Formats: sequence, structure tokens, C-alpha cells
Amino acid sequence: MQGFINFVAKYKEYFTFVALVILSLSFISLGDVSRIGGFRTVVIGTVGWMQSAFTWIPKPGALQSENKSLRQLNLQLSTEATRMRNAVIENKRLRDMLKLREGNELLYVPAEVVGKNTIELRNYLTIDRGATDSVRAGMSVRNDAGLVGVVIGTTDNFALVEMIENRDIKIAAKLQRSGIDGVIVWEGGEVFELKNVPKAYDVKLGDLVLTSTFSNKYPPDVPIGRVVVIKEEPGNIFKTISVRSFVNFGALEEVFVIKYMPNPERTALIKQMDELLKLRKGYTK
Amino acid sequence: MKIIFDKKGKRSQVRKFTYYAIAALILSFVNIVLLDFIAVGTLTPDFLLILCVWIAVTEGQFFGIIAGFLCGILFDFISHDVIGTNALAKTAAAFVAGWFYKENKANITIGNFRFLAIVFVCSLVHNMVYFLFYIKSTEISFFPFFLKYGLATSLYTTVFAIFAMLVKMQRKGG
Repeated sequence: MQGFINFVAKYKEYFTFVALVILSLSFISLGDVSRIGGFRTVVIGTVGWMQSAFTWIPKPGALQSENKSLRQLNLQLSTEATRMRNAVIENKRLRDMLKLREGNELLYVPAEVVGKNTIELRNYLTIDRGATDSVRAGMSVRNDAGLVGVVIGTTDNFALVEMIENRDIKIAAKLQRSGIDGVIVWEGGEVFELKNVPKAYDVKLGDLVLTSTFSNKYPPDVPIGRVVVIKEEPGNIFKTISVRSFVNFGALEEVFVIKYMPNPERTALIKQMDELLKLRKGYTK
Repeated sequence: MKIIFDKKGKRSQVRKFTYYAIAALILSFVNIVLLDFIAVGTLTPDFLLILCVWIAVTEGQFFGIIAGFLCGILFDFISHDVIGTNALAKTAAAFVAGWFYKENKANITIGNFRFLAIVFVCSLVHNMVYFLFYIKSTEISFFPFFLKYGLATSLYTTVFAIFAMLVKMQRKGG
């Protein structure tokens, strides 16, 4: 026995070490903290209280990390704010477009081109929709690309369309980008001419030309063509602007009659003024 | 047979162990409450380990092992760690530190760079044991993790052991 005690005493470090390792492993095997009981809860509570007492001390590392996080958050919020501002603008624009659409909602009658006539630089189309389809003289005709012409006569099942490739046609038009007004005429060439645009006005190649609200004959904002040539000739206060139509008049097969009738009162007034001017001209002669 | 009790020596031993206990409590408090202020990323020094090495080198392997176990258990309780992990790691570290114990030569051992090497080696042992349990239930491979965190933590702990060495050097000089 004494020998064993001496042996243990001699190697007490190793025995203690083994015993404490076993004890530690036993604690680890307990695992669940709740088994340790309320003592640890008290310790953790005390430590928490002490930690909270020292929160006023600035932590350079933590501050740096917090600054980084705040900067990221700031960037994120700033991006979100910009996106929201853009959404508000876009929303307003879309609402405006919707109102415009509601205000200018046009009905279309689809029609097929069944004939084409050319009489002294006047081009006409015959379409397979007439009075029975509510097509009336004075209604405009377009296709998916742009303005084609205006209905000048109807039968029950057919209508005659005067194309804008017509020497008598004068269309009140405007440039979409700058809103400048002018008059589109056709002088027999491949392109149309936009008249009455002063030299000082802002016109650029590629500008989109639409029908204007000044027109009593055509509904507004129907595409006509694009500016392809701009010339400024000496002695002329107006620009010479050539516009190429979006419509391929040589290959028209399907068109749409726009169920839009000019205001009769306005038409009557213009007609009255025209007759008055003609009378004056005759009187002068 | 006359038994002579060295009452004076026993009292000084008790006082010494009381100081160790107070130091352990203070260092635990520092480790838990003030560690954030000196943390470098996720790396933190282990002040209790330095104390364990100190005790093992000063008092011998036997006391060192007991001190390691008690400090570890204390730290397990006050930190949110699994009870027993720090106790096991610090017991092992103190056991290794005890090999460097030389009777009446503790001042020399602690007061020179040898102490730093001992702390570094003990810290490696400590971290190896600790991380073995830490990553046991994860998919992380042990050695890359140990090389990344164990080695860095050991170096950082060794840096703080310089202060202990300087204190001892100052006393020797004084």
C-alpha cells in the first residue's frame, strides 16, 4: 500500500492531469448548459451587467466596422431613394401618357387595299371598307408605320383614299423633339417638304415629324416621317427641310381607317374663310 | 517525534494562492469585458493562459495543472462556452508549461525571452486542444483552421506575455 502511495506521490502531476482531463471531458459530455443550473445564469447576468457598464468606451475596431456598415447602408439607401425618385417621375410620366391615351383614344377600322390609282400626281387607294363599316369621307387612314391619307368618298362597301403623296395635300405638322410647327407638302419627289420653318428654329436630322394639333383634317400625333435633309438657302428666311415618309406607298396592303372626324364647326369656318378669300381674289382680278 | 509546522511559510503560500485567485478573477473580467478593445479582427489574447503558464513555471507542474483547470472552468462559466473545453485546454497547456519548471529559478525563466517561447508553445497546445472541440461538429478542416486562427492567437497572446516578462525583469533589476 505504501508503495502505491509513494508511486502516486511520485507521479502526482500525471495522476492529477489525467483526473482533471477526465473531469473536463465529463463536463464537456454534459453539453447542455441548462444542466449546470442557475449558477451560470447568474454569472452570465453579472458579466452582461459589467459589459454594459463599459459600453461607453469607444472601440476603434468596432467603430471602423460600424462606419463601414453605415456607409454601405447609406449607399444602399441613397440608391433606393434615387430609384424611388425615378419611379415617381416614371409613374407621373406613365399617368400622363395614360391620360393622353384616354383623351386621344382612337378607334380603327382595319381595311385591305384593293386598288391604287394615280391621276396627275394624285395618288388614290381603294379600300374594302365603306359606309356600312362606319367609314366616312374625311376620316384619316394610316398603317402601322404612319399616315397614309384621307378618305374622300365612300360607297357601302368601299372607300376612296386620297394619299398624302398628293400635290393638293397640305398637312399641319410638328417636330416631335422641339415642337416646331410647319406644313408638309408633296412636290412629286421621293420625299416630302416641311415648309414654313424659319432658319433660326432648331431642326436636326432625324427629327420625327408628326401631325399637329393645328390640323383640322388629321388627328394629332400620327407619325409622318423623319427629317433627312436640312438646307439653308441665301435669300430665303425659311429652311428647306426634306422629310422621308415612314410609309412605303408602293407596297401598301393593309391600312387602318381612323374613326376620327374633324370638328364640323371648325371645318365650316375654314371653308367659309376659303370662299371669302377666293371671292376677294376674283374681285381683285 | 516533534513535528514543526512552518506557519509563516504556510501563510505566505495561502497569501500567494489568494493573489493568484484574485489575478485570475481580474484577468477573467478583463478577458470578457475589455477584450473587444484590444481585439484584432477575431483574434484575442488569452490572459488567463499567461497566468496559468506563470503559475506552472513558478509553482511547478502540479499546481500549474490545478490552476489551469480552475482558470479554465472559471472562464467556461463566465464566457458562453461549453463547460469543460477551456478547462481541458488550459489543463493541457499548464501541464506542458510545468515541464519548464525549475525550482527557485522561476524569476530567471519568466524574466527572459524563454518565457515568451514557453507561452507560445503552451498557447499552441491550448489552441490545438480547444479548436479540436470547437470545430468538431463542423465541416471545417482542422489544420488550415488551426494554422489560421490557432497560430495567430498564439502569437497575439505571446505579445501580451512580453508585459509579464518585463514586470519580472523590472523586479529583478530592482
